[in-house]
Amino acid sequence: MGLIGRVSSGRSSLCSAFLGLIPHFYPGEFTGSLIVDGLSVNDSSIAKLSTHVGLVFQSPVNQLSGAGTTVEEELAFGLENLGVPHSEMVRRVNEMLKLIGLTSFRKRSPFELSGGQQQKVAIASVLIMDPKVLVMDEPTAQLDPLGSRLVFDFIKKLTKRGITIILNTQDINQLAEFADRVLVMDNGMIVRDGTARDVLTDINCLNSHGINPSDLTLLSSELKKRGLYKGHLCLTMRDAELMVKKVIKK
Amino acid sequence: MPKVILLSYVDRDSFIHNLNPLAKLLALFCAVLLCFLMPGFVYNLIMFSFVIPLAFIAKVNWMVFRTLRFLTILLVIIFVIQGFFYPLAKVPLIVLPFGFTLWEDGLFNAAVICSRLLAMAVYGFLFVLTTHPGDLVSALRHIKSLKIPFSFGYIIISTLQVIPRVQLQIATIIEAQKSRGLETKGNLINRLRSYLPLVGPLFSGGVQQAIERSMALEARAFSADTKKTNYRATVMRSLDKIIMLLLVIVSITVVILTRLY
Repeated sequence: MGLIGRVSSGRSSLCSAFLGLIPHFYPGEFTGSLIVDGLSVNDSSIAKLSTHVGLVFQSPVNQLSGAGTTVEEELAFGLENLGVPHSEMVRRVNEMLKLIGLTSFRKRSPFELSGGQQQKVAIASVLIMDPKVLVMDEPTAQLDPLGSRLVFDFIKKLTKRGITIILNTQDINQLAEFADRVLVMDNGMIVRDGTARDVLTDINCLNSHGINPSDLTLLSSELKKRGLYKGHLCLTMRDAELMVKKVIKK
Repeated sequence: MPKVILLSYVDRDSFIHNLNPLAKLLALFCAVLLCFLMPGFVYNLIMFSFVIPLAFIAKVNWMVFRTLRFLTILLVIIFVIQGFFYPLAKVPLIVLPFGFTLWEDGLFNAAVICSRLLAMAVYGFLFVLTTHPGDLVSALRHIKSLKIPFSFGYIIISTLQVIPRVQLQIATIIEAQKSRGLETKGNLINRLRSYLPLVGPLFSGGVQQAIERSMALEARAFSADTKKTNYRATVMRSLDKIIMLLLVIVSITVVILTRLY
């Protein structure tokens, strides 16, 4: 599920709330209720919520706990805190290393890795705790294009794992490829909730809330305006392929 | 700003590395005790040279002498001060003009002090090279009576790792400011004055980092009150217990023997 909105629309706050950082970490008022995987955020501790919700932040290096001198120790840190037995820890660490493709890096210091690799380690470090929901708050914002690509491909891989992924991002192009559902936020409120196709091709809605539609959608919209194309607005590359074929046929 | 490596531990698969940290701690304790209890300086030097085969067994080889670089000046100062100003001096060695006398007892005392320093430095560093701080805390936590909390291990390791990173960041910020015309020449006062505006951003950046890191810790269930387990497992094998026993026996024997002769 994608979470989009202009800057300061409250997306990061919502992401933090999923883990219970709001209200348990950031002091303040909390009205209403937020229930994640059956747990009420208000009534559950962050530690309890962390086994159901994984939260990944923007900054790759600041998410390294510093408790692990090697990548494998960093991955195991969450499990150590939960008191998971040693053999199970080893099994899960090996699985995660394979998943992020860093098995050969297992004995390296996590601080030596590139930003993209560090972010993958950060994601794996929460994924290893087996949450049902993975919330990612602009995970590629502080990465260079290569690192961004690395993490983006990894997230795509994750969508096949059967966990719920909530991705807060400014990059509509990312969401267009694999989001099922999209939430639009503005001014601290959820203003639109629908399927990815409905929301992301609704150019008026996006523009009125300060979001730039994806390049493909804009392209198809322009072509439509000039009467060169009469089909649906494009979202994914597949749509674009079909559209180009249709346009060329004319 | 040079980057300081605070985590001196080197990962090797050696007999010494595989010893329980408590055994190594006891060994260090015995070494220190010995160099204070053994008379004279010759025994200390012998013990000092014993570290060489141990260092090779530990596969760290000559690294164990890295700390000695910092000691050389101190050793020279000790010889000079003790040599000239030893209070209980009775036997002069060389009488110099201007009333300075180099005392033999003074030099002997200097030799004793320096030999102790040398022995402690190398054995201490061997300990640091072969013992991972996390393992040490984890082994200490097995001694229930000490009641060392889990967070203790985290504090030590994260401090050792994060500080060099922060130093790097500070260096980067200073470089960036230099490229914008920060005055790095001139006398001390001027330089300090030009660094002053950087303090604010550095601190707020540091605080921001700390906040982000603590959120990441929360996301890893750091504040869960379950019984923690360790990925790096330390075990007390019977081999470790035997070695600890041997250490005590040998130390006592050596002290007695060296004091008798």
